[in-house]
Amino acid sequence: MKRSRYLAPKRQTLIWLALAGYAVFALFPLIWVVMMSFKSHIDIISPVPKFIFTPSLENYKAILFGGQSMQYEAGQTDFLLYFKNSCIITISAVVLSLLAGVPASYALARYRFRFKDDIAFTFLSFRFAPEIAVIIPIYILYQKLHLYNTYVGLIFVYQLITLPLIVWIIRGYFEDISVEIEQAAKLDGYSWWGVFTKIALPLVKPGLASTAVLAFIFAWNNFIFGLILGSSDTYPSTVGTLGFISYESVLWGQMAAATVITIMPPLILAIFIQKYLVRGLTMGAIRG
Amino acid sequence: MAEITVQDLTKIYQDERIHDQVMAVDHVSFTCNDGEFMVLLGPSGCGKTSTLRMIAGLEEISAGKVFIGKTLVNDLAPADQNVAMAFENYALYPPLTVRENVVFPLKARGMPKVEIQNKLREVVDVLDIGDILDRRPAELSGGQQQRVSLGRCIIRDADVYLMDEPLSHLDSELRLRTRGELKRIHELNKRTVIYVTHDQVEALALADRIAVMDNGVLQQIGAPAQVYEHPINLFVAGFIGEPPMNFINGTISTAEGTHIFSSFDYDLNIQLPESLMVSARGWEKKKLVLGIRPHHTHMVHEKEFAQRSGKVVIYESLGEEGVLEVEVEGCPLTILTEPELRLKPRETVGVSVDWENAILFDEESGYSLNSNGD
Repeated sequence: MKRSRYLAPKRQTLIWLALAGYAVFALFPLIWVVMMSFKSHIDIISPVPKFIFTPSLENYKAILFGGQSMQYEAGQTDFLLYFKNSCIITISAVVLSLLAGVPASYALARYRFRFKDDIAFTFLSFRFAPEIAVIIPIYILYQKLHLYNTYVGLIFVYQLITLPLIVWIIRGYFEDISVEIEQAAKLDGYSWWGVFTKIALPLVKPGLASTAVLAFIFAWNNFIFGLILGSSDTYPSTVGTLGFISYESVLWGQMAAATVITIMPPLILAIFIQKYLVRGLTMGAIRG
Repeated sequence: MAEITVQDLTKIYQDERIHDQVMAVDHVSFTCNDGEFMVLLGPSGCGKTSTLRMIAGLEEISAGKVFIGKTLVNDLAPADQNVAMAFENYALYPPLTVRENVVFPLKARGMPKVEIQNKLREVVDVLDIGDILDRRPAELSGGQQQRVSLGRCIIRDADVYLMDEPLSHLDSELRLRTRGELKRIHELNKRTVIYVTHDQVEALALADRIAVMDNGVLQQIGAPAQVYEHPINLFVAGFIGEPPMNFINGTISTAEGTHIFSSFDYDLNIQLPESLMVSARGWEKKKLVLGIRPHHTHMVHEKEFAQRSGKVVIYESLGEEGVLEVEVEGCPLTILTEPELRLKPRETVGVSVDWENAILFDEESGYSLNSNGD
């Protein structure tokens, strides 16, 4: 059928325009923030939005190295600390989730045991419970357990974001491997551990990579856990960016620069792994 | 190399949907001798694959024992017993090439490279996979994948070889050839093989002994000729043989020294030869089934030699032979004939039957009268 395979040129143009329109809509805030990060304060607060301006690196200098920024005092030089916090907390959270979640998802995919579905559902429920609903009890718990304002505490609470994601997506990947492949390997002389590490894990590796990146992005973007369970020592950069709003002024330029730097790691990761990311989210299939 | 002994092997599955237990394998016992090629034959769902998988250690054994050699292997991990298996759905490792797949079990056991190469060459020749060695499983047809999977099984130097329908996905010519190769390798090396199939022709061609299973129960075990000529019950008789055996329900009566089998459903009375009556003494007036193989029924051209006349229902010429279905007094009979006969439906033909080759079964139990019910 010709009609279904090739879109009529007119239709194609319309779809193209619609997509382009959406791209502008979606990307404009990003572009605006990037532009803002290179503007001087005067240009930013100009009542008429300025698209043409003299770019400067003042904002970046200020947040990375501190010191004077235009005529205003740079109240913020802790950005690097917050960025480091973000890295430590997010990467550790993803690694911990992988260590715990990959064996868990393998068990859920392969073995029959009591309450299996209930356990799987509990993992999932972490994800759809709104964070704000559980944050107060966790706050009180953390105060008592001295986990408040610690990396360990934040890494732990970030498991609510990363663990369900990893368990559920990787489980699908494991289920797609034919059981016979593993059984053949057992008969070929591999122990349980050998089958898991030499057969099962390599087969889910592409899925593992994309899921880890996805979990990283979700964790990196989190705001509420850091805001409430952390303090100035452990704020991730999402929360740290708020610090540019002070009593006397809002340091828009520096805030924009901080934002641009903050979105870099997930953006770069997403671009690198884009191909797998789409495949991982839509198919999750390895055919034997 | 080793013999395999299976004692009262039982597999019970928990069926979640009906909250009930299903007995897939029901107290199966047999011994596969050292160097023997044994075929587990049965329709799908008869428990033959479950039996095989329990022997391999891949399936939990619900009850019973499996010995390989003198060792009880019930609780041994698959890796700890030297068993090679070919899976029906190939179970090839997708990221590896054909070559890597085939030598995988040797590498996993740390065999020296030179030896691996020699073994590989042998297997490649036998299975004719030389031209696909560098491809990956995803690029192969089902038949090619199946040959690679078979290669990964036979390349090993295992105690026993277990094969689950290893030829099922090959096209008929290749199946025939690979079947011949398997037979040849077995004659050469005399390995212990248990081979699962639903194809009775394959079973008859390959097996030293056939174990016929139905509904999880072992029906009969014996050499192909024995299972074919002396089926123990109606199931075995009907399952083995192509085209299937003719069955006529009826009863025997004796008058003036002659024994007459009368059909219940048709106006058909057959005088049974004395040889058949040896085992049928005392079965007069009971419900019986008379079984006769299509190749013991003949179509005769000369009317004077015909015992009966039959009406042609359908005739299929299959090249080497022909299969003719006729109705004798309304009773349908399948006859093996020569090919290329010009027969039209409703045409009358002469039919002659070697009744001394017939087998009588007890309708109630299904057992052959020769089998003494066991």
